[in-house]
Amino acid sequence: MIHLSFVDWLRAAPVVALILQFLVALNLGEHRGRWVTQDDEPRSSTRFAAIDLFIDSGNDPLAAWQVEFHATKGVVRIVGIESGEHAVFGDDPPYYDPDAMMNDRVILAQYSLGRADSLPTGRTRIATVHVQIEGEMEPQFSMLLQAAGDDEGCRIAAEVTFEMRIDQ
Amino acid sequence: MKSRRFKLLHIPASIAVVFGGIWGCDSGRMVQNAQYQRQSTETGSYFDPSRTGYLAPGTSAHARASRTTVAPVGPSEEIWIITPPPDRTGISKRDGVDLLGGFGGDGLVDPLIFDAFDEDATLRDLVDPCGGIIGIPSHRGTSTPAFVPVPLEHTSVEAEISAFVATVDVEQQFHNPYNSKIEAVYVFPLPQDAAVNEFIMTIGERRIRGIIRPREEAEQIYLEARRQGYVASLLEQQRPNIFTQKVANIEPGKRIDVNIRYFHTLAYDDGWYEWVFPMVVGPRYNPPGSNDPINPVSRTGDTRFGGTRGGTNVPYLAPHDRSGHDISLTCEIDAGVNIEEVLCNSHAVDVDARGSSLTRITLSPRDVIPNKDFVLRYRVAGDRIKTAMLTQHDPSKFGGAGHFALMIYPPADLSYIDRRPLEMIFVLDCSGSMEGEPLALAKRAVERALRQLREDDAFQMIRFSDRATMFAAKPQAVNSDTVTRGIDFLNSLSAGGGTRMLDAMDEALDSIEESRCDRDRYIVFLTDGFIGNEDEVLGLMQERLDRRDGHSTRIFSFGIGSSPNRFLLERMAGLGGGVVAYVGLGDSPAEVMDRFIERSSHPALKDISIDFGGMDVRDVQPGRVPDLFAGRPVIITGRYHGEASAEVGVEGVAGTRELSIPVEVSIQEGAISHDGIACIWARSAIAGLENRAMVDDDREIAHVIEELALRYGLASARTSFIAVDGSERTHGAFGTMVPVAVPVPDGVQYQTTVDQ
Repeated sequence: MIHLSFVDWLRAAPVVALILQFLVALNLGEHRGRWVTQDDEPRSSTRFAAIDLFIDSGNDPLAAWQVEFHATKGVVRIVGIESGEHAVFGDDPPYYDPDAMMNDRVILAQYSLGRADSLPTGRTRIATVHVQIEGEMEPQFSMLLQAAGDDEGCRIAAEVTFEMRIDQ
Repeated sequence: MKSRRFKLLHIPASIAVVFGGIWGCDSGRMVQNAQYQRQSTETGSYFDPSRTGYLAPGTSAHARASRTTVAPVGPSEEIWIITPPPDRTGISKRDGVDLLGGFGGDGLVDPLIFDAFDEDATLRDLVDPCGGIIGIPSHRGTSTPAFVPVPLEHTSVEAEISAFVATVDVEQQFHNPYNSKIEAVYVFPLPQDAAVNEFIMTIGERRIRGIIRPREEAEQIYLEARRQGYVASLLEQQRPNIFTQKVANIEPGKRIDVNIRYFHTLAYDDGWYEWVFPMVVGPRYNPPGSNDPINPVSRTGDTRFGGTRGGTNVPYLAPHDRSGHDISLTCEIDAGVNIEEVLCNSHAVDVDARGSSLTRITLSPRDVIPNKDFVLRYRVAGDRIKTAMLTQHDPSKFGGAGHFALMIYPPADLSYIDRRPLEMIFVLDCSGSMEGEPLALAKRAVERALRQLREDDAFQMIRFSDRATMFAAKPQAVNSDTVTRGIDFLNSLSAGGGTRMLDAMDEALDSIEESRCDRDRYIVFLTDGFIGNEDEVLGLMQERLDRRDGHSTRIFSFGIGSSPNRFLLERMAGLGGGVVAYVGLGDSPAEVMDRFIERSSHPALKDISIDFGGMDVRDVQPGRVPDLFAGRPVIITGRYHGEASAEVGVEGVAGTRELSIPVEVSIQEGAISHDGIACIWARSAIAGLENRAMVDDDREIAHVIEELALRYGLASARTSFIAVDGSERTHGAFGTMVPVAVPVPDGVQYQTTVDQ
């Protein structure tokens, strides 16, 4: 073990200061890209984002759907669920299952009794999930189509995708 | 000079023309009535026979149909009726009103255009000695009305009633009238049993559903979103009937709406269903040392009454301040049976019968100031209706459990059972908030009760404000002398000071413990319930009653005034084994008290047990089935597995007799299912847990409440709704917090409450 007297510390101070300055600069450099995105705000590890959920039902009219969405990595809290783009599913945002929400999993479902020609086809934004993200880790999400059906109640093949938006 | 003012009406039209048409009465006191024409196209009337409650007993009223233009009234102004003091000395323009017209003591309109007179002209000079004047607050002098911009422009209420359950959608329309960003904060009431399970924030065309989260977590999310410039809203419960709505980062000129949906059950009393929508939180008194107070403050933040000890601040408008916040309300009733009568004593309404069992009630656009409870009553066909069960069963939810709500009706007639002598302890709230009409109503109710008691009964009276004092050292046997002295005591009471209800509760329970035991003993509270320490009062009550053997003492509560604290009153009666009644400003206290005496004269059906037949029932709420009083059914809720049953049996004891009530449960195809039943059950279960928490410091109770509220998606003391628009940030700092100042409730004096 090395024992340094107060005088030794004083003598070593310029060297220690240099090392500290280097470490601090290194650390700042690592994060500088993200800091720019926060405008003049102090650095916060908490940010908010909107994640658009899409279903692509191809040429089939989409009359009913149920999806599950959750984060597989990162600390994410769901803070809002916004209506999709198609009015045929009504004005109100889709309901969520409170049981699933207790674990920050979202199970959403909607249906429409509209005629086939009023239903969406192709890629449709069915909802937007608003989230709060905490920590440095970039979150990863998973989305699962549990069911999709057409106006005759038949199951249809469809694909789900999602896109995250962060206002920086 | 002291003048007596009755607020008459609020006219939001840009120009309205007021016509004469005033109710007068022989005593010289005036009640409100006026006819008006709005922009010369729409005519309405404020004549409302139910408001004759304002008249002194024994006086007769008469109306005048003629109409005469007296003056234009500007936007957002109110019209006042001013009755002169007994000596008829002059009220003049110098008293701070623009005098619009006068009327004679015989009720005939005697319009006068006061502009023709100089400022020294007095009432005595101008109208009949028994007359009065109508006017609007002057734009001159010290009483200049101030328009107070608030960030809440409008509240829209749409209710649907099916059977005995109401589904209510409330939309609060926030708007930023300033030139910088604001955070709007609004403290508002909801029914004490409202199961709030939907919350949507609307920004332009975009609608974002809020998420239920543990309270602290929701608050942290909100604060962070606010700090970072995101539009966010937070709904927190302060009391089961008081909520706070916060909306952050409202940009200048922008509008953000918040929609809330809740379910609750209706009260039923002697053939009448009652649906109530509260509109304003009354100014609460918080005794020193109160935890989590509800502080009444002036709109400028002055906290002379209540202090700044944390808790929730409710800012009130001064008497001459007016905000632009108004309210609209519709209520659609699908009774399933014929609706025979609809009554609304609290507000002017339009009733549109759309069939024998369907009715739509709309709040009149002439009655849009949200300063009193909206109380709607309707009577349905038949002497008594069938016990009804509503269910909600979705096998994919709640572990496959179904939920039910069952309204149990008491036997139609228990009068064949002997009446036992009564011992009544009347506890009168004489605090500052009861000044004026509320205390007058309470006095008349008690006087009526004293006159109804029999010679083998006994009574006591306790008045309380800053301290509690008793009419006599011990309950007095009823005779003409004691009743006379009791009425003298009543007449001597005046209002002022704080609301130390704990002391009054203690006195009442002490008094009853020292008295004879061969009478049915009732403690009857008459109060507006404007206290912030409800938990303390309810906790003490529960503790004292639990210490007694059985429940030989019952506690009844009478809510007095236009916006009583229904949470306190209902919970007191519920814990005390009694029932609650309300005497609004438009109600007859005599009628309400007569019904109470009639009801309490019959023994209640107690020790009730319910046989659910083949139904596998669990978690019945309330945990102890309340006693059944004549004319007052109770609603119980529960969970079940398997099928719902149509055969339910109720057994209980009335007096010394065991009674079995055959209950025919009405299960009609398509009418038995209701989407709100699970939430209503959960809300009731939470209320039961809250009662336990008042006397049991077990942290596990709080955890169970939170778990239950999260699972059923309900706002509660432990859970809040949060909604954040994470898609874009607004520019700049989050701006100033702007509380929504509210009027004091109709009939409540600002000076004796907020400005104490």
